[in-house]
Formats: sequence, C-alpha cells, structure tokens
Amino acid sequence: MDDAVITDAALAARDGDRAAAARFVELTQQQVWRLLAHLADRGAAADLAQETYERAFGSLRRYRAESPARTWLLAIARHVAADHLRRRARRPVAPALLDDADEPLGAARPGDVAEGIALRLAVDALPTDRREAFVLTQLLGLGYAEAAQVVGCPIGTIRSRVARARADLVEGLGSTTTAGEAAVREP
Amino acid sequence: MSRDRIRGLPRPVGNPQTVEDDLPGMGPSDCAACREELSAELDGEGDPARRPAVRAHLRTCPACTAWREQAAVVTRLTRTAPAEAGPDLVARVLPSAPRGSRRRVGARVALAVVGVVQIVVGIAALVGLVGHGDGSAMLGGADMAHMGHETAAWNLALGTAFVAGAWWTRHLAGLLPVLGVFIVVLAVLSGLDLAAGRVEPDRVATHAVLLVGFVLSLAVARSAPRRGPGPAPRAVAGPRLGEDAGPDSARTPLASRDDLGPVARARPPRRDVA
Ligand SMILES: [Zn+2]
Repeated sequence: MDDAVITDAALAARDGDRAAAARFVELTQQQVWRLLAHLADRGAAADLAQETYERAFGSLRRYRAESPARTWLLAIARHVAADHLRRRARRPVAPALLDDADEPLGAARPGDVAEGIALRLAVDALPTDRREAFVLTQLLGLGYAEAAQVVGCPIGTIRSRVARARADLVEGLGSTTTAGEAAVREP
Repeated sequence: MSRDRIRGLPRPVGNPQTVEDDLPGMGPSDCAACREELSAELDGEGDPARRPAVRAHLRTCPACTAWREQAAVVTRLTRTAPAEAGPDLVARVLPSAPRGSRRRVGARVALAVVGVVQIVVGIAALVGLVGHGDGSAMLGGADMAHMGHETAAWNLALGTAFVAGAWWTRHLAGLLPVLGVFIVVLAVLSGLDLAAGRVEPDRVATHAVLLVGFVLSLAVARSAPRRGPGPAPRAVAGPRLGEDAGPDSARTPLASRDDLGPVARARPPRRDVA
C-alpha cells in the first residue's frame, strides 16, 4: 500500500473530490478496522471505524499532509478507540462482552484456526500500550517510526513495547496459560 | 520452556515504560536489552551498533537464545494468521466526506460564463471591424481599425483567461495582477473619457463584464483550499485527545513532504498480512 497514493487521495478528498474520498476509505478501511478491533472491541469496530472517518473528514480541511494521511488517520482511530473505552467504562453494562463472544473462548479448533484464535486472544489480553504497539507494527505492518507517529511517542518506546508484547505472547502462547490469566499477571 | 523460567529472568529496572534506548552497553546479564534488540531485529528495525553485544550475550545466555526461537515462532504465527476482514464502509462514510464549496463552484461557473460573454464580445467586435479601416485617423502609428483589432485581441485574451481560470483555478492567482492593472487603468481612463465626452456610456458599460470577471476571479482564487504541505508537522508529538487535527497549534517550519523526518527514514518492507 502506498502512503503517497493515500495522502494524495486525502488531499483531493479535502478539496471536495468525492471519488478520491471513496478511494481514501477503500485504501485504509481494513487497517482502521483492524486497529479498532484490537484497541476497542471487535463488535463495535465497524461503528468506530465509521466514527473515525467522520471525524477525519470533519478535520480534513485542516490536514496539510505534514504526516502521511494514513498515519494521521490511524492516530484519529486511536483516539476514537480511547473515547469508546472511556464511554464504555462510564456505563455499567458492558455489551462488548456479548459482541466479543462470536468466537468461543478457549475453543480448541484444529490447525491454523485454533492458532489464530489463540493468538488473537493473547494479543487482546496484552496491556493497552503493548497491544497498541504490537498491533500497529505486526498486524498493520507499520514501521516503528510510523507507529511512533501514530501513538505520539518516541521510536524507542515503540521498540520496547513491541519487545515486551512479544515476551508476553511467548509466555502466553508457549505455556497453556489462558489469555485471561496473562492479562492479570502484569498490569 | 517453562513459564517460571521466563518469569525468573531479570526484568529491566525502573519503570518498564520508560526504559528504552538509554540502556548503556549490554552487560552479560542484561536479558531485557538483549530481547528488545532481538525483537527489533525480527521487525527489520535492529540497531547494527548493538549487534555485537547481542551476539556476545546470546553466546552466554541459553534463555535468550531460546527466547529468540520462540519469539520468531510467535512472529511467524502473527504474520501468517489469516487477516480478519472488516466490513466495507465506503457507502456508510462517504456522506460525511467534504463537499466542494457550493459558492466556489457557483463562482467558477459564473466566471466561465463571463469568459464566454467576453469572447463573444471580442469576436463580435472583430467581425464588425474587419475591413472597416479607412486609413483616415491615425493614432500612434496605427489607424482606428488597427486600434480596434488590438482591443478585440485583448477582449478575446481576457475572455479566454476567464474560461481557463474557471477550469484550472490554480492559475487564477497569477492572472490577478494583470487583470487588476488592466481594469484599474481602464476604469480611470473610461471615467476621464466619459467626463470629456470622448466615449458613449454604452461602450463603457461593456467594460462591466471585465469588472465582473475580475471580481469572480478574485472570489475563486481566494476560496481555493491551500494545497500541499503547510507550515509544519506536529512531528512526533502527534495529536492529543480532543484536538485530532488541531488547527494551528504550535507549528515549526517544515520544508516539504520529502522531509518528513522519522517517517522518511529507511524502513523494512511493509509486511502485509494477506
Ligand atoms: Zn539473556
């Protein structure tokens, strides 16, 4: 995926080009959705992605291509996720738990699927900072510098968070520990 | 490897969130620093300067050697895991995409119309003039017919400029000084000529088209969204909550999009999890 293409689409969209706006969404929506699925919750990810684009389009006229549009957009998605978690924390009921139940917890399925689910659960059980760094660099394929820009932290912070996330996953997946346990183990 | 063995490994000192690059040379027991470097290497973000220290540490630390293998397995698993696909949101979010400003579009259409009118006026004048020179009144080395031709040429040129400017709006700004000078000079002279009875009011009225065209050009040029890199990045600071793209918060100068600092650094090929 080409950052320059995405940035050009964003600039054209800013100037009122609807086709470019559609292209901008097409090129970025999978990454936005995946980030939100891991940072907030899977069931709400589509709605949150929609909110992300609405916010992005709302502030697009102030976008000056100082950073690549993808990085800019993912930073917005990150805020949307944080806002969502804050909203949810304020409410007594947590409907997300129901949404998340589309995959049975701990279900043993053969082969890659089981591995994939185990991995997903383990990733989602990581502490927020590490999960964020891990998802950005491993699942979205961002470089450390880009991830640092999305998060708004030094590159070294991404570097150490990714390493810690890996260590947690090695631990979580290597033993028979459930992901839930892994989450409480280390605040 | 058992969990306890990993848990028993030394953790970095101090706040885990702040221990970073500043770890000094890697001691033989500094497993955390070693693993951070191993992790970065897996992502193609390793620091060549730390490589020798890491290799030296691995020779003396079977735990880190084993960790490297496991971390590689986890990494492979992550990258080969089927990517979860989200829904297609284009139709849902497109209604909130920015629209071109209606007024701007209106001004551009009006400008194109004025341009066409101006061209028609120019052609009409030209057709009416051709062959009508009688060679009597000479002015500055040209007879009246030739003066008329020059005027017609100007009218055609300005009309074309209006139409072109309506289409290629970015060139409009460059046109404004020429149009401005032309119109100011013409207005002053027309006023003087009118007062002295050297020109019919009808004739002066046709200049109004030019004036309208100029005003519209000004409107279109001024409403143009600014393109390209603005004054500055918020750099690595990134947007904070509540000001996703804060308008003009403290900005430092930045040259161009080729100079994006950290992002422009060489980085490993993107790993697209298919
Ligand atoms: Zn070690």
